[in-house]
Amino acid sequence: MNKLLPVQIKRLLKVLPFNLFVWFLLMLYLSPVFFMMVTAMMPTAQLGDKNAPLYPARIKQYEYEGKEYQIYNVPLDGETKPMVLVVPGRESSQLLDPEHPENGLIEWQGRWRDLVGVYEFHFTWENFTVLFRSLPFLQMLRNTFFLTLVGELGVLASSILVAYGFSRFRLPGGNLLFYVLIATILIPDKVTFIPKFFIYVSLLHWRGTVYPVLLHLFFGNAVYIFLLRQNFKSIPVELEEAAMLDGAGPLRRLFMVVLPQSWPVVITVSLLHFFYTWNETRLSSLYLGTDPNLMPISFGVQNYQSLIRIDNVIEASTIVVLIVPLIVLFLAQKYFMQGLVITGTETAK
Amino acid sequence: MQSASIFRSKVLARERISFETRHKDRMGLIFISPWLIGLLLFNLAPILISLILSFTDFHLLTPEQAQFTGISNYTAILRDMDAGKTFWQTIRLGLMVVPLQIIASVFFAGLLNDQRLLMKNTMRTLFFLPSIIPAFSAALMWQGYVNPATGWLNRILLNPLGLGWLNHFSSRGASESLFILSSLWTIGPSILIMLGAMQGIQPEIYEAARMDGAEALTRFFKITLPLITSAVFFILILNLTAVLGGAILLDRGNTFRFTFSSYDSYVNAVLFRLFNLGYASSLAWVFFVFAMTVVLILFVTSKHWVYYPDREA
Repeated sequence: MNKLLPVQIKRLLKVLPFNLFVWFLLMLYLSPVFFMMVTAMMPTAQLGDKNAPLYPARIKQYEYEGKEYQIYNVPLDGETKPMVLVVPGRESSQLLDPEHPENGLIEWQGRWRDLVGVYEFHFTWENFTVLFRSLPFLQMLRNTFFLTLVGELGVLASSILVAYGFSRFRLPGGNLLFYVLIATILIPDKVTFIPKFFIYVSLLHWRGTVYPVLLHLFFGNAVYIFLLRQNFKSIPVELEEAAMLDGAGPLRRLFMVVLPQSWPVVITVSLLHFFYTWNETRLSSLYLGTDPNLMPISFGVQNYQSLIRIDNVIEASTIVVLIVPLIVLFLAQKYFMQGLVITGTETAK
Repeated sequence: MQSASIFRSKVLARERISFETRHKDRMGLIFISPWLIGLLLFNLAPILISLILSFTDFHLLTPEQAQFTGISNYTAILRDMDAGKTFWQTIRLGLMVVPLQIIASVFFAGLLNDQRLLMKNTMRTLFFLPSIIPAFSAALMWQGYVNPATGWLNRILLNPLGLGWLNHFSSRGASESLFILSSLWTIGPSILIMLGAMQGIQPEIYEAARMDGAEALTRFFKITLPLITSAVFFILILNLTAVLGGAILLDRGNTFRFTFSSYDSYVNAVLFRLFNLGYASSLAWVFFVFAMTVVLILFVTSKHWVYYPDREA
């Protein structure tokens, strides 16, 4: 152990500069996220105040004759002193020396609005309680969980079947159908969206139902099919041949041989879909937005954010929406962060 | 001699892959049938309908009065200043955003794949994190972040460097550069794909290069980059499609009012404010043809610069 330690430290020192660089980059990259977290805890009075510190803070309070007043840094006789602003006025104000309150109020000539306050650290959960009072979070969460569950089941089952079909069977037209699959990824959404909107709303009267949001998922998703297919391709066929000799049909081979080898990509695809459903707002704004019993959390919060224009409440609501995906992301990181393989070859061990 | 053995192994491989398929074309069709039905219902039929709609004056509120108007929608687009403006805006932003996203994701993936990196999984997850923030929330967050008076961009980064003047409310490119900057927050999946490609490179190749005295930078440009071109191409196509309004690998819920493409917002405005389905369809079709042309050109040129490991096997 004694012999090992210096070696380890040496190795650590060798990789330290590189890691420091990556951490620095990460801090820069995530700084808007830190900004969000800090802002979510800020009292509203701090928001427009450009002199306020970066952390959640408020101007120091001082109690005088039973009332709370704020303390400012005031230039007096050539030096800057913290003073209590008791009677603010346009051109002159009345101040109190917090160290010698017995001296009484002092008249001060100058604009108090140009003064910089004396700040103290002060954070608040108020922004979150405002949110929970004004939005039906439980109901919205239930709606989102329902959409996620049904959508995941549909899109995973269909995409896995289709991907298996593309990876193991000779299809009529050779690779043509696979090229068509890729082409569907590239179709701009707007060109198919207009007729669908008309059919769902005017012909089928599906506004206020979950069908327009969920139905298409049961027919597979081209991106997911592509990712799954590339991964299935990288699994050696020999394993399946062995199973086939034992009399296993294609479905059985898919479930007993291929899927157990493909957990990382299946988890990745289900996570991609989970994050998508959690944040989805386009379809839900069109088809579910009118009904509070169907409204998912993504659209509910977004709607709220566009109405309320107060930064700290907005950032608090972002945190609330993010909590569940964040937990999922960190729980699944072992599988998710293996990297997505798109080339479909047998990868080196 | 060598080519003969390659030929033989190719034949063997082909036989192996089709180990049971000869008579079972139908089985494959059964497996992909959900997608085939979906293709018909959710892609082909709507595309055709919108093509037909684009030659009519179909209005959502008065569908029974719809009439064929020939190509008048398309000639109207040629005179439509808003359509032209938003079209170019979308393309201009795409030209700036997509290369930036590709360079950044290759760079980040390179860092995250480096042997020297400690706590690999956690670091990768943290770099992925911004990609799961809802698009609208992210936009609001960035607005607060770049606010010249109270945002952190000026107070932490620019002002200490004496560069505060770069970022103004009034500066013309401010909102555009904000948009471009925040596009770096969507590259999580791209990083993962690059990582996947980089992990597929055999370490022996690097070992050999190191023996020959190749520096880290040389190794990156001579080995890593050429070997991951298929991933670069995939990302190029996917990010381009996302900019042009196609499928997004990790959709974070853009709204109709707030889309990353100004052309999309224009189409949505025609659709939801004017309810003019005919004109909106022709706008969409113009863009569809444009996007498909771009992608086709890319696919054709890709032969010359993209390396596919699976085609070589």
